[in-house]
Amino acid sequence: MDMKPTPRKVSRRDFFSRISDGVHGAALATLLGSDLYSRPSTAAAATRIHGFQPRKPHFEPQATSVIHLFMNGGPSQVDLFDPKPTLEQYAGKKAPRDILNRLENPQQAGNFLPSPYKFAKHGECGMDVSEAMPHLAKRVDDITLIRSMYGEHFNHEPSLYLMHSGRTLPGRPALGSWVTYGLGSENQNLPGYVVLDDPKKLPVNGIQNWQAGWLPPEFQGTRFRSEGPPLLNLKPEQDLPSPLVQAERDLLRRLDETHRGQRPRYPELDARIASYELAARMQVEATDALDLSQENEKTKEMYGLDDEQTRSYGTRCLMARRLVERGVRFVQLFIEYQIWDNHSELQKGLEYSCGKTDKPVAALLTDLKQRGLLDKTLVLWGGEFGRMPVSQERAGYPSGRDHGPMGFSIWMAGGGIKRGYTHGSTDEIGYHAAEDRVSVHDLHATFLHQLGMDARQLTYKRHGLDERLIDQYPARVIKEILA
Amino acid sequence: MLCLQGWSSPRVGFEGSVQPLLKAKCVSCHGAEAAQAELNLESHQTLLKGGKSGPAIFPGSPETSLLLQKVVSGAMPPVGEKLTDDELQILRDWIHQGAQGTSESGLLITDKAVLPILQMRCVTCHGKRRREGDLDLRTIASRLQGGRSGPALVPGDPEGSLMFQRVAAGEMPPPDMLFANNVKSPTDAEVETLRKWIASGAQPAPKEVVEVRESESLVSDEDRQFWSFQPPERPNVPTVKHARLVRKPIDAFLLRELEKKQLTYSDEADRLDLLRRAYIDLIGMPPSVSEAEAYLSDDRPDAYERMIDRLLESRHYGERWAQHWLDLAGYSDSEGIIDADKVRPHSWRYRDAVIRALNQDKPYDRFIAEQIAGDELVDHQDLKEASQETIDILASTGFLRMTPDGTYSPANGSLAERMTVIADEIHVLGSSVMGLTIGCARCHSHKYDPLPQRDYYRLSAILQTAFDPYDWVPPTERLLKVGLASEWKEAQQHNEPIEAEIKRLEATLKKKAEPYRKQLIQERLAKLPEPVRQDLLRLEETPSERRTEIQKYLAKKFSAVLKVEDHELDELSPEFKAFRETTQKSLTEAKQKLKPEPRIRALYDMGGEPSAVYLLGRGEAQSLLERVTPAVPSVLRSGLEALQVERPWEHDGSSGNRLALAHWLTQPDHPLTARVMVNRIWLHHFGRGLVETPSNFGRTGARPSHPELLDWLATEFVRSGWSIKAMHRLMMTTTAYRQSSQVGDRAAAEDPENKLLSRMPLRRMSAETLYDSILRVTERLDATPFGPPDQVTTKDSGEIVVDGTKKGWRRAAYVLKRRKTPATIMDVFDLPQLTPNCTERTQSTVATQALQMMNGDTVRGHARFLAARLIDEFPDDREKQIQQLYLQTLTRPPTADEVDAGLATIDDLSGKWRSHLENENHDAPRGYTARWSALGSLAHALLISAEFLYVD
Repeated sequence: MDMKPTPRKVSRRDFFSRISDGVHGAALATLLGSDLYSRPSTAAAATRIHGFQPRKPHFEPQATSVIHLFMNGGPSQVDLFDPKPTLEQYAGKKAPRDILNRLENPQQAGNFLPSPYKFAKHGECGMDVSEAMPHLAKRVDDITLIRSMYGEHFNHEPSLYLMHSGRTLPGRPALGSWVTYGLGSENQNLPGYVVLDDPKKLPVNGIQNWQAGWLPPEFQGTRFRSEGPPLLNLKPEQDLPSPLVQAERDLLRRLDETHRGQRPRYPELDARIASYELAARMQVEATDALDLSQENEKTKEMYGLDDEQTRSYGTRCLMARRLVERGVRFVQLFIEYQIWDNHSELQKGLEYSCGKTDKPVAALLTDLKQRGLLDKTLVLWGGEFGRMPVSQERAGYPSGRDHGPMGFSIWMAGGGIKRGYTHGSTDEIGYHAAEDRVSVHDLHATFLHQLGMDARQLTYKRHGLDERLIDQYPARVIKEILA
Repeated sequence: MLCLQGWSSPRVGFEGSVQPLLKAKCVSCHGAEAAQAELNLESHQTLLKGGKSGPAIFPGSPETSLLLQKVVSGAMPPVGEKLTDDELQILRDWIHQGAQGTSESGLLITDKAVLPILQMRCVTCHGKRRREGDLDLRTIASRLQGGRSGPALVPGDPEGSLMFQRVAAGEMPPPDMLFANNVKSPTDAEVETLRKWIASGAQPAPKEVVEVRESESLVSDEDRQFWSFQPPERPNVPTVKHARLVRKPIDAFLLRELEKKQLTYSDEADRLDLLRRAYIDLIGMPPSVSEAEAYLSDDRPDAYERMIDRLLESRHYGERWAQHWLDLAGYSDSEGIIDADKVRPHSWRYRDAVIRALNQDKPYDRFIAEQIAGDELVDHQDLKEASQETIDILASTGFLRMTPDGTYSPANGSLAERMTVIADEIHVLGSSVMGLTIGCARCHSHKYDPLPQRDYYRLSAILQTAFDPYDWVPPTERLLKVGLASEWKEAQQHNEPIEAEIKRLEATLKKKAEPYRKQLIQERLAKLPEPVRQDLLRLEETPSERRTEIQKYLAKKFSAVLKVEDHELDELSPEFKAFRETTQKSLTEAKQKLKPEPRIRALYDMGGEPSAVYLLGRGEAQSLLERVTPAVPSVLRSGLEALQVERPWEHDGSSGNRLALAHWLTQPDHPLTARVMVNRIWLHHFGRGLVETPSNFGRTGARPSHPELLDWLATEFVRSGWSIKAMHRLMMTTTAYRQSSQVGDRAAAEDPENKLLSRMPLRRMSAETLYDSILRVTERLDATPFGPPDQVTTKDSGEIVVDGTKKGWRRAAYVLKRRKTPATIMDVFDLPQLTPNCTERTQSTVATQALQMMNGDTVRGHARFLAARLIDEFPDDREKQIQQLYLQTLTRPPTADEVDAGLATIDDLSGKWRSHLENENHDAPRGYTARWSALGSLAHALLISAEFLYVD
């Protein structure tokens, strides 16, 4: 057979000499872009490669990183954060039409249900927190509680999409994707947007919760596992000795560099080699970041790592701190499936969820504060909605509560947010956000604002139009909660 | 009285607070005199009426009120002082509190105000297909006629009108059926509207002009002059200096632009590069070694053209090119939207229909007709015996059935969510076939293109005979029971024994549970008074179909007593619990084994008259503006035939609406259809469209880089009889396509982005091409085509891998495309998220790709398989093994240096593998295994190398 190899005309040149090589140096600079305002769109974006270089925000930020403690299922505001003594008066009375109309399961509607938990005032600020969260109660002077959140849909999936991506539909970029798209990240050896999901079970909507939608795919959240190797395929699936792994890696690099040398005007080939090198560095850095054996016993105890009930969530809270410490921009924790979704067995459910999370969350606040990280770390705790003041009765089970998107509570801490402050209120039964109502878009705008970005200016061109996290909705920065 | 609005802010009055601030900040432009955008904010009444973009406010809903959105975003007022935060709060509160005027406004309530309430709350059960109690509430006449209980409506007498009585009493819609029927009860405000309407005499909606005339004024002649709204005209082929480079007229058009910059094409690509390029382009996999040999030894002058022809005849061609179309349709094997991500068991028929249509080179005009209106080409209601051809035509309508659709779930099937499904399908239609972002006009007239909101609803009206949001069929039931006779038989034979087993298991379980159930109910009854106990005991003994009315009532009333949950029985007996769990597991397994009967996930007309279509203010279901009828966008209407709707057959099962649309779209001089399609074909061959925004030919889209070439191609496409394969042949046999991908100095300086095509671009394989190519070159490909998709498995690590067949793995086209579980190896290479479709793929280069390729077991496993094959084939000739490895993976022989380096690498790696195996105390013969593993490592490196992934 007559197949002759064809030597390429151009010899290999050094990578760095080409960085400054006229047009292609410029092209590469665009690919690695660092300007928030003049982001290349369509064709350029399609080949843009590694986008985590830190970028300047629109204005001086209050926070440089985020820990989002997402509480899937809809934590019950009237049992945790929003005391409603009036419910005692209405106890046992049937729910009126407007409430029935908002239930997911109207056929199981019960009567008004006062909280089984006692509330007390805590901290110097005197914030009301129920006895279900004794650990958080000790940290109320560090947080702003918002009692007047409201959503748009009565079911989980659309509400999750709303909370995570600004609309009730799937397919839009997640909050963390927007943040890393806007700001890049401080650590180039770790992903900028890390998701620590629950090893027990993926949350509702699964991996769609942290997708980049139509933003460049590198801004998708990267799942770190809290058990076993942190990242999928971080190590070879077969346990191979490192000289062998190294030899294989060298072989590949030789092949790729020869290939690149023959095609000097294709910067994407440089980026490809860079991505393989990053993968190798990540192997070291991610393993180190998540290695909790470096922590002392006192810290581990504080996060509840010594207790079966709190170990899983405590482990991830501690990992979150270590990641933020290393400059990861956005860390997001999900909870096992949707444990706050207490349609029945309200008390049993809340005891499980609070038992699993309350101590670790409080420890995270304490730890961030004592290390001076809280000032620059924005912490958000909350679910996709709250729950109803009336009970839900499922045959054969103790009472629970149905979904309540009309009014619910979340809290924030650090990153330029007021300490020991309560914002907004619901009506007398805790059903409907009343005073100082806060929409999810308001929350998003506030969030971006603390990170130094204007929600209306953070845009991405798509189909010739400017897309935003807040879409076309009105979105107001909640100035009242800023320190 | 409980304050349910939950609004404890002070009440905001219109005259006291709202009117003054509007007067200060808005009325100078939006008053009776100026009324910009037909909006007058001077009085409460005109404010409610709204302007050109629909109502300015929705009482009770500040977030969706346009007025508030505009002022909050700062868009309004455009000049002068913005509103203060306090003023914003006043507006917000006022709208939230219901946007009341000071006095009852004198607006006449007509049927138009009532219709949305009835449509949202009532017609699901009292409408077109379901007519509970023989009652149809869709029209005034039918309400007057009423149902079994008499007339529903007595004009002037709300209390005497059954439809008001029962709603006001909270009996309708029935509270216990709300969830199942996807309906919410009316709000108090809606009940009040209903009352007022009846009290004021049940006025009909004002007579409306449904004609298209008025909207024409929204689109000017100037708008129509935009390049993409003008029919393509066939240009003359230019003459160029480098005439010898002109193989096809395409070259002349391209060279003319290059020569303007003193540029020309780069050299012809190496034969093997060209071969690999053509294979990847057309069939999505590299050539086999024997195919490459055959090509190289063909020294006829037209060897290249013959090779292209061979590829176009390959059945792998359809598998590759179908993916481009399936992206546009948003093809998926699952419904999406909700977490369950229900699998669509029948959507593969659509995928197969597209593959076959492409392989047959079905003319594009016919292809479009089948995609949009296959159900109006084959009468599924009068189908004696289905053939593969008729099935494919019906299945082609799956084109408009592929977007995410959660409306099968009662919690996600609201009217708004149904309308979103329709909007998504209109987006699919607009972005794929028309190159228009018409979906933008759902909520407001298009901001940049001459597409008034009306045009969106007119398209929606074309689909209304199939997709009627008020007469909704859930996606899981919107299926045609059509299949080949052989498929029916096969399903039946397969399922019979399994169904028998299921029955048996269910009966055993019931029998086993009975004593415990009895025991539990006895215990519960013991707590009830004696007479009730007796009645309930008797009730228990009576099978449900023989129960008297009283017994039925009792059964309902005491359902909590009589209903027994599994977990309650479990508590009585651990032994029963174990038995129940095993049996239920067997049941689940048996049910999974059932083969679904043949069904087609099609789009088809529901028959009869659909609900009327109204323009919806802000796209909201409760805001009916004027009525619209089926029509095509007015900007495209000049010079084209109008939509000509004819029923395709005698019976009224099909309207002919969509077939008319397809015919209208495929008129030879349609300005968009041919242009959009040739541009897409071009994009996939040359890496960039002549119009860089393939789904947006409007004002915000890119202008064509070579307008005359685009028009020449569009007219050539129509002349060729809309043959897609003719277009491939034409484009791939140009000198342009045969250029090398090397970038010369001049080209780099004068054509940095390669817009002029001064070389072929280096391109990366798509996710599917990479997956398929690895399978083919490692000889792991099971080439079996068609049929239900292969499943995927989620490993403990979270990695999602494809299940193999007995013969290996099938092409990516035949892997389950479930939204929730994309196969990881493809997902990391930028599989698109279909929301609702993907009009252009993006490419990222990220570390997760490196990790997957270096460390994942999938590719390593395939590489080792290939290494074993090579050792079997050339047992003692290590040079030959390396030669063959390069030929097979990279479609080229290695250089002498590469052979030497390969040999050295294998020696080195063999040593390392050997010491690894020794440390691990491996049982395998170490010498042999180490050598095999080393060759495997080399194969692995080549498979994951840049050279494999990128196509010159």
